[in-house]
Amino acid sequence: MKNLALLISINLFWIFSFSQKASISGYVTDASNGEALIGCKVYLPSIKNGVLTNNYGFYSVSLPIGKYTIEYKFSSYVSVMKEINLTKDTSLNVEISSQINTLNEFEINAKKGENVNSAKLGQVELQMEQIKTLPAFMGEIDVLKTIQLLPGVSSVSEGGQGFYVRGGGPDQNLVLVDEAVVYNAAHLFGFFSVFNADAVKGVTLTKGGMPANFGGRMSSVLEVNMNEGNNKNFKVKGGIGAISSRLTIEGPLKKDKGSFILSGRRTYIDLLMKAAIPDTSPFAGSGYYFYDLNLKFNYKITEKDRIYLSGYYGKDVFTFGNTEDNFNVDMPWGNGIAALRWNHLFNPKLFMNVSATFTDYVFQFASNQDQFRFSLNSGIRDVGAKIDFSFYPNTKNKLRWGADYIFHTFTPTSISAESDSVVFDTGLAQKLFSHESAAYITDEYDLSENWKFNVGLRYSSYQHVGPFTRYIKGDVGVSDSTINYAKNEIIKSYGGFEPRFSFRWLLPNKSSIKGGYSFNYQYVHLTSLSAVSLPTDIWFPTTDKAKPQSGWQTSLGYFKNFDNDKWETSIEAYYKGMNNLIEYKEGALPGDNINDNTDNLLVFGRGWSYGVELFVKRSFGKFTGWIGYTWSKTERVFEDLNEGNPFPAKFDRRHDLSIVATYKLSERWTFGSSFIYATGNTLTLPTSWYVQEQNLLFNYGARNSTRMAPYHRLDLSATWYDKPTKTKIDPITGLKMDIKKRFRHNWAFSVYNVYNRANPFFLFVDNDGDFLNGDFKLSVKQVTLFPIIPSVTWNFEF
Amino acid sequence: MKVIFTYWKFFVICSLMVLFSCSKEVKIDIPGYKKQLVVDGFIETGSPAFVLLSKTNNIYAGTNIQNYIDGFVSGATVIVSDGNVTDTLLEICTNNLPDGTEETVAEFLGLPVEQILASPICFYVSDEIIGEVGKTYSLTIKDEGQIYTSETSILAPKELDSLYWKEEPSLPGYGFSWAKLTDSPVLGNAYKWEVKYASTLTFSKPFGPFTDDRFYNGLTFEFAYENPMSFSNPNINNEVRGYFALGDTIVVKFSTLGQKEYKFFDKKYNQIYSAGNPFSTPVNLPSNITGGALGVWVGFSPTFDTLICQP
Repeated sequence: MKNLALLISINLFWIFSFSQKASISGYVTDASNGEALIGCKVYLPSIKNGVLTNNYGFYSVSLPIGKYTIEYKFSSYVSVMKEINLTKDTSLNVEISSQINTLNEFEINAKKGENVNSAKLGQVELQMEQIKTLPAFMGEIDVLKTIQLLPGVSSVSEGGQGFYVRGGGPDQNLVLVDEAVVYNAAHLFGFFSVFNADAVKGVTLTKGGMPANFGGRMSSVLEVNMNEGNNKNFKVKGGIGAISSRLTIEGPLKKDKGSFILSGRRTYIDLLMKAAIPDTSPFAGSGYYFYDLNLKFNYKITEKDRIYLSGYYGKDVFTFGNTEDNFNVDMPWGNGIAALRWNHLFNPKLFMNVSATFTDYVFQFASNQDQFRFSLNSGIRDVGAKIDFSFYPNTKNKLRWGADYIFHTFTPTSISAESDSVVFDTGLAQKLFSHESAAYITDEYDLSENWKFNVGLRYSSYQHVGPFTRYIKGDVGVSDSTINYAKNEIIKSYGGFEPRFSFRWLLPNKSSIKGGYSFNYQYVHLTSLSAVSLPTDIWFPTTDKAKPQSGWQTSLGYFKNFDNDKWETSIEAYYKGMNNLIEYKEGALPGDNINDNTDNLLVFGRGWSYGVELFVKRSFGKFTGWIGYTWSKTERVFEDLNEGNPFPAKFDRRHDLSIVATYKLSERWTFGSSFIYATGNTLTLPTSWYVQEQNLLFNYGARNSTRMAPYHRLDLSATWYDKPTKTKIDPITGLKMDIKKRFRHNWAFSVYNVYNRANPFFLFVDNDGDFLNGDFKLSVKQVTLFPIIPSVTWNFEF
Repeated sequence: MKVIFTYWKFFVICSLMVLFSCSKEVKIDIPGYKKQLVVDGFIETGSPAFVLLSKTNNIYAGTNIQNYIDGFVSGATVIVSDGNVTDTLLEICTNNLPDGTEETVAEFLGLPVEQILASPICFYVSDEIIGEVGKTYSLTIKDEGQIYTSETSILAPKELDSLYWKEEPSLPGYGFSWAKLTDSPVLGNAYKWEVKYASTLTFSKPFGPFTDDRFYNGLTFEFAYENPMSFSNPNINNEVRGYFALGDTIVVKFSTLGQKEYKFFDKKYNQIYSAGNPFSTPVNLPSNITGGALGVWVGFSPTFDTLICQP
C-alpha cells in the first residue's frame, strides 16, 4: 500500500507541475511492416537535444510553444524530417523506411554520437541485421554468442551455459524476453541460445550503471525484444541449416491495428543419430534434439492503449538407452515464458506499461535399470507483475517510476527412487516459496548541455515463506529433527535500498567522461557442482540460511568519437564487490540433499572483480565492426573453501580480445569475421596421487589454481543475396523495368574455427595401464570440442 | 546399490559423449603439491588392528612400480588404544613375513609375491588388541616428528534378513546375488558389501560397495550385487561377466561402519567413478585423521553368510 500511495503522489505531482508546455509524442515504426522501432533518435536541432524511443517505439518531448524541426533517425533507415508549429499537445506517429538495399554504404548504428552523448554507462545495443552478418556456429545465428564478443562479457567455454559480465556469475545477469525473466537461456549445454534470430528484434546489454527500473541481479541486464509481427502484409521466412531449420510466419491481425508472429525452430540431430544407429544396436533410440516456439500478438485497442502478448516455449530432450544393460535415461529440460503487457498513454507526457509475466523452467532426469527407477526434478516458476510509468516533463528530464512483484516457486532438487514396490525415502519434495517486490524511481536529467545525470533509487524486499521444512543436523551429521513452517508463514524477510547514479560530462572534440555507481540486491542464486556449467546447475532462492547476494559496482570511462562519429572509442575501468556468494561445500554431491535442505550444503563468501575495457567500433560504411579488449581480475574468498584463502573465479580471465568485422562488398555479397583470444579458464586438478586399498586416489590442490591454455579462434562467414529485383518488359510500353522480387533468399556460408585450433574445453587426469605390467601412466589430458566446422544455411522470405 | 548409481551413470555417459571429441595429452603447470602421509587403517571384530602408511606422490612423478613401493612408510610409531589397553603396533615388513602368509599379504597389497619379497613394504599390526563390538579405538601415529591421531568404533553388526541367488531370465545358469535387509529406524546406518568364492582367501568389492540408509531408513527391501571377481578372471566370457554361475559357492561379508568413516568411502567411490568427468566436482576425501594426513582409520563390524547359487 505504501508503494501505491507513493506512486500516486508522484504521478499527480508531475502531471500538475508541468502542464504549461506543449508536448510532441507518438510512435515511430518501420514503414514496411509496422514494427515499433526501439531506440530511434528523435532529435531537435534547434535545441541540440533529443530523446530515444522506448521499448514500444514511443517518444515524448515537452517544449515551449514554437516552431520546430524534428529529425527521426534510426539505424539503416532513411532519416525523416518533420516541421511542426507547436501550439498544443500534439501526437505525431512517424513511419520510416529502411535504406539498406538502396545505398552503397550503409550505416549500422545511426545513433551517431550516442556513445559520447548518452548518460548511460556500459550499455551496448545490437541490431539483428548486424548480428546476422557475423559468422554463426553451425549456421545458427546466436545473439548470446555475439554478446560474448563485447568487452567485459565472456563465456566459460564453448560448451558453457550463460555468460559472465565483469566478473559476475551467470546467475547475476537478468535476461529478459519482452520483460519476462529467462533462467536458462541455453540449448544443448550452451552451444546455442534459446533466442531464435528470426523472432528477435534487437538486444540491449547493460553491464554497468544498471538503471533503477531493473533489479534482482547484480551484474547486467540483457533485454531481448521480440519482433511484433508485420501489421501490413503476411510474410513467411525461414532457413534450412546443417543441424536445424526454422520457420516464421507473421502478418496483420487487422491492418495497421494489430499483428502476430509465430516462429519455430527444431534441430534434427536425433534424426541423424537415428540414421547412424541401427535398430539392432543396443543404443537404438538414443538421441538429442531441441525445439522452440515464439509467439507474439499485439493490438492497438485505441490510440492510447496497446496490448502485447508474448510467449516462448522451448525444450531440450536427451534420451539414452542401452538394451544390453536394460538401462535408459530421459532428460528433458526447458523454459516456458509468457508476458502480457498493456501500454496506456494518460497524456502525451505520461506513458504507462503494465506487465504480467510467467516463467517456468524445468529440468528432469529419469532413469530405469531393471526394476530400479530413479527420477530427479528441479525448476523454478515465477509469476510476476510490473507497473512502470515514464514521464517526459520537458527535454531535460525523463522520469520513470514503478513497482514490480514476483512470486517464486523453487524446486532445487526433488528425488524419487523405487525398486519394484519399495519406494525409497528420499525426503520431502523441497519446494521453496518467496515473494520479491520492489519500487523505484529514476530520472535522466540534463543539468546543462555538458552535464547529464541519471539518478535512481530502488527499494527491494523479499520474504521467504512457508510451507517449508527445515532439517536440523544431529551429531553424526545427518538430519535428526525438523522444523515445519505453515503455508504463507514468513520465515525470513530481507530488504534494502539500492541507489543508482551515473553521469556524463561532455568535453570538447566529441568526447566525454562518464562515471557511475550502482548497488544491487539479488535474491536468487545459482549453484554448480560441476567444472562446467550445465542445466543441472541448481537455482536456489534466498532463505533464512542463504542470505541475499549484494553487490556494488563503480565505473569510470572516457568516450571519444572520430571522423564525424564514424569511429567510436572508449576506455572504461570498473571495480565490483560482491557479498553472500554461494558455493557447495567441499566434497558435496548431488545426492547429499536427500532428507536435507540444499542450503545446508552451501557455504557463503564474497568476491571482487576489477578491470579495464577498451572498445573501438566502426559503425559506418562498407567496413564495420569492433575491437574489444578487457584486462580483468576476478577473485572469490570463502571461509570454508580453499582453507579460507582467496582463489580465482573459474571464469577469471586476465586478457580477453575480440575483433569483429563485416564488409559489404556489394548488394550481393557480405563478408564477416570474428577473432577471439582469451586467457585460459581456471580449474582444480589433482596435485598428487596415492593408493588406498589398491585404489588409485587423487588429492586436489588449491581451488582453481590451474589454468588451461589460452583460447583463440577465428570464424569467417560469407553471405550471398539474390538479386532484389527482376526485370520485366512492360506489355504496354515495351520498356524494361525492374520489379522488386517477392521471394528473396540468401546463402549463408560459415567456417567455425578456421585454423582448427584445439581449444581446451576441460582437462582431466587420465590413468592407463597397470602397475604390475609396468605400463601404468598418469597424464593430463585436454579435451577439445570443435575442430574446423564449415556450414551452410539457406534463408528465404516471401 | 544400483539405484543410487544410475545418476552417476548418466554423468559417465555425458563424459563419454564429450570424449568422442578430441583429447590429447598436455603438460600443464599444476601448482601446490606437498607430500602428505596417507593412512590406510582398520580394525574388525575378532581381528587385530592393521595400519598401512604411505606418502602422496606428485601427479607428474613417475608411476612405475618401484615409485609406488617406495611410497610406503616404515619406521613410524603406531599406537592403538581401546581406553584400557594401549598397544604399540608391530612393524612387519614383507621381507620378514611369517611362513605361509606371503601369498595372503601379496594379494592384499595387490602385488606379486616376488615383488614384495624383493622390495619390502612395511605395515603395522596390533599384538594385544583384537577388535570387539562396542569398543572405541584411538590411533596415534608418530612419523618424521609429526603426530597424527584418529578414533573409530566397532558398531553392532547387522545381519541380512536373507541371501539368495536369482537366475537372469535372459541368461540361463547365471544371476546376481540378492539380499533382503531390514534397516533399523535410526538414521545414519552405513554398510559395506564384500564377497568371495568360498575357496579363496580375500574378499572383493562390487560396484558401489558402501551405502548408507539415507534412501531406505527403517525400510525392508531387496537389492542385488554383481560378481566383482568375474571381471578380473580372463577365463570368464564377456557375456556372463558380473554374474554368479549356477553352483558357485560364495561368502558375503556384510559390515557396519560409522557414518564419519562412511563419508570417506562414499566420496572415495564417487571420485573413482567420476574420474576425468567434467560434470563432477573435484572432491578431496574427508579424512578422519587429524594432523594433516589423508586416508581413514575405520572399524568394521562384519557378519558372514555363505550362499550356494541355486534356484
